Amino acid sequence: MNKRLSLKISISGVRGVVGDSLTPQLAARFAAAFGTYVGRGKVVVGRDARPSGEMLMDAVFSGLLAAGCQPVAIGICPIPSALVFTKESRALGGIVVTASHNPKEWNGLKFLSRRGLYLTAAEVEEFMDIYHQGEFSFAAADKQRPILLEEDPAGLHLAKLLSSLDVEAIRKKRFRVAADCCNGAGAILLPAFLEALGCRTVFLNTTPDGTFAHQSEPIPENLVELCRQVKEAGADIGFAQDADADRLAVIDEKGEALGEEMTLALAVQYILAKEPGPVVVNLSTTRAIDDMARKAGVPVYRTKIGETNVVEEVIRRKAAIGGEGNGGVIWPRVHTCRDSFAAIGLILEALAAFGKPVSALAREVPHYVMIKDKIPGTPEEARRILGRLKKAYAKEDISTLDGLKINFGDAWVHIRPSNTEPIIRILAEARTEDETRRLLDEFKTKLGSNLTLTAA
Amino acid sequence: MKLLKIGISGVRGIVGETITPELVMDFACAFGTSLDEGRVLIARDTRPSGPMLHKAVLSALVSTGCDVLDLGVCPTPVLQALVHKLRAKGGIAISAGHNNAAWNALTFINRDGTYLNDFQGEEVLDIYHLERFRKAPLSRLGKVKSQESFLGSYFKRLAAFLDRPAIAAAGFKVVIDPCNGAGAGIVDLFCRALGCGLVPVNNEPSGFFPHDPEPRPRNAAEVSSIVRISGADAGFLLSSDVSRVSVVAEDGETLSEEYTFPIVASRRLEKEPGPIVTNLSTSRMIEDVAAKYACPVIKAKVGQSHVIQALLSEEGSIAGEGSGGVAVRSFQPAFDGFLAMGLVLEAMAAGRKKLSGLVQELPKYHIVKEKIYCPPSRVHSVMDGVEKLFEKDGPSLIDGIKVEGPDGWVHVRASGTEPMIRVVSENRSKEKAQEDLDRLTAFIAQLV
Repeated sequence: MNKRLSLKISISGVRGVVGDSLTPQLAARFAAAFGTYVGRGKVVVGRDARPSGEMLMDAVFSGLLAAGCQPVAIGICPIPSALVFTKESRALGGIVVTASHNPKEWNGLKFLSRRGLYLTAAEVEEFMDIYHQGEFSFAAADKQRPILLEEDPAGLHLAKLLSSLDVEAIRKKRFRVAADCCNGAGAILLPAFLEALGCRTVFLNTTPDGTFAHQSEPIPENLVELCRQVKEAGADIGFAQDADADRLAVIDEKGEALGEEMTLALAVQYILAKEPGPVVVNLSTTRAIDDMARKAGVPVYRTKIGETNVVEEVIRRKAAIGGEGNGGVIWPRVHTCRDSFAAIGLILEALAAFGKPVSALAREVPHYVMIKDKIPGTPEEARRILGRLKKAYAKEDISTLDGLKINFGDAWVHIRPSNTEPIIRILAEARTEDETRRLLDEFKTKLGSNLTLTAA
Repeated sequence: MKLLKIGISGVRGIVGETITPELVMDFACAFGTSLDEGRVLIARDTRPSGPMLHKAVLSALVSTGCDVLDLGVCPTPVLQALVHKLRAKGGIAISAGHNNAAWNALTFINRDGTYLNDFQGEEVLDIYHLERFRKAPLSRLGKVKSQESFLGSYFKRLAAFLDRPAIAAAGFKVVIDPCNGAGAGIVDLFCRALGCGLVPVNNEPSGFFPHDPEPRPRNAAEVSSIVRISGADAGFLLSSDVSRVSVVAEDGETLSEEYTFPIVASRRLEKEPGPIVTNLSTSRMIEDVAAKYACPVIKAKVGQSHVIQALLSEEGSIAGEGSGGVAVRSFQPAFDGFLAMGLVLEAMAAGRKKLSGLVQELPKYHIVKEKIYCPPSRVHSVMDGVEKLFEKDGPSLIDGIKVEGPDGWVHVRASGTEPMIRVVSENRSKEKAQEDLDRLTAFIAQLV
């Protein structure tokens, strides 16, 4: 099978390419199935700022209305705000039209439970059964309900953030902050949030129209303009949100992008000082977390990749903090979801509490270099290759919880097929860049020769 | 049995049974695909199921690369006028017109502002069945705009088309019942445009239908009593899409919907004689009116699509059906309830006559109708049986079976919108009309 599939139906929802696999019909079918699954009550419907969002949101409305649900339209809304709103508004669930960091031709649907969380694996299974059986509970004409419009969907989230943070300590510092919303949904809330924290601000890309000013993944190569702005404005710190505002990248006061692994590391560093407790991260997150937790005397729990897996473990372990190395910070005190606003708040509070510049705090985080790479490959190809590698490295310290992770002393490599794209991800981390590069190249060569074998 | 009616003019069914988002989207995609990208106007009536279909249509049209101008709640004839005026590629009306609240429907409008003709309708159906929908890539997705104020230009044009000074000078007071449908609230503008006083009934665009939105005497009790109490000059009932009208006289008499067309036609032929188009099931009154002005009568199959196609191809002056739908070609080739009400008022004003007076001038026929439930699978054999019954009477078979006699006629046909067989009987003698109807109804019931 050489053709790349453009539709992905997985635990994290549905993703596809507009104009190809992701049609209004498909979206309406999923919405009707979801309405059938949660029952005839309120269902929150929001979206990120992508240009195809409105078309798909209309399709979702139609599917929910047909199933007798009452859609609550929250429009363009940061993902964490949508999750908090779903929980606090006592809706039966929610649907968010988003494809987070995928290219702009992509879009997708994510499904939320009444707890304001993504559906768990078990819930997805139940819901998918309804979808595949195609027996939807359509409502008769006299059971149809009008769409409700919510004017301030981020308000509940903002209130939660402000009541969880030491707002006074942050306000006193009058931080100068440069922020890039990537023309995404974060622009709905970030100005109000930073104003409430007493920051003096310089903003970039705050028109939530989905015309991503740069690739939306908050990795250093996409943050050149923000780095320049930090220097020019003499800012204390720079923040870059991804398009749906769940992930965050940090720029230090010198205008240097710290790398996305550092976002969670800074938040964990502060929480371990402020209110130590268990930490939950996925298998691909930097080993710096383990080093800091060991020092603080708290356990680290590792999970499969995928926000839902981390969130479920955060809840199970009553974690003080959790997250992913891709800039996703989960601070349960606000809500158990990746939340760029919670991350911003914690890092600003850390600056205030420690009274040090962010570059100094970053230097105190144990130093590792991680390199992320990917090669094209279908899940089937990945499965075969990983099978061979598992045998070859059976004697090492390996984890097969998700793909294959091999630990070598203070370095590791993690290989796994993507859930959302037909690629195989390969990550390596070691103390120095040379060492990491050597490890990565070694495994890429192994994977490459295996792929060639497969193709032959 | 699940009710779904697919025809050249659109699709109609029961919400939640046959009318689902996917079906609606597939049809809207088929229609969008049949047009070259370009702009499509959409409107709905007030039914509570309207938003579900409306969102589905929006989303589907955008996915085919059509731009959408969204009129929101809007009467179908106004949508049709705007499609033509704005040079749009087409339109979709979301309304089941006279059907009760359980139903909804899509009706497709072509660039001329009329229902699709046979060729256009069949093209849409072919695309629907093949599921060959155009999928626009992201850069070519349609754009959606809403239009809020579109009624002013329509009513200005209507007032100019009618003899507004005469109507206004007559100082009429009218009772209008839009059945809380698409005409609700808008009838106020209609009366203001023509200088009439309005006593509104069921004039909230809530979509709650206090009676079936079918303009006919059965649903006219409220209007009749208010006409009498308020001393109004006329009463009108509208379908939920404002395509059909029935009339109540100033004495409270609820007139059959069959009267709308001949009253309007008399007035129009006086001003602009020309061929009249009607269907096979419409009262013979219209033939007497045509004879008075020496105009030919052309008979088409039942349904707005067929009647309007004939109006255009035969260059007729006016077209109408016994169901209360009337179109004047020089105004717009669409059944238009506002125009029909306006022409009734113009006839009253021009002739300085009361509505009951206009009715008295019409020949007296008695028309009675019945519909008999018949599952679609039985329709053919039942119609065969009826045809055999009338074999020796030389029936017309253009649309169902019609048999004409010197004083009346009977017409049997399968409904285009419901799983029903319709029987219509008309005669100069009331008793004979009823007798023919009863006999035929019993015969058909037995065949079913």
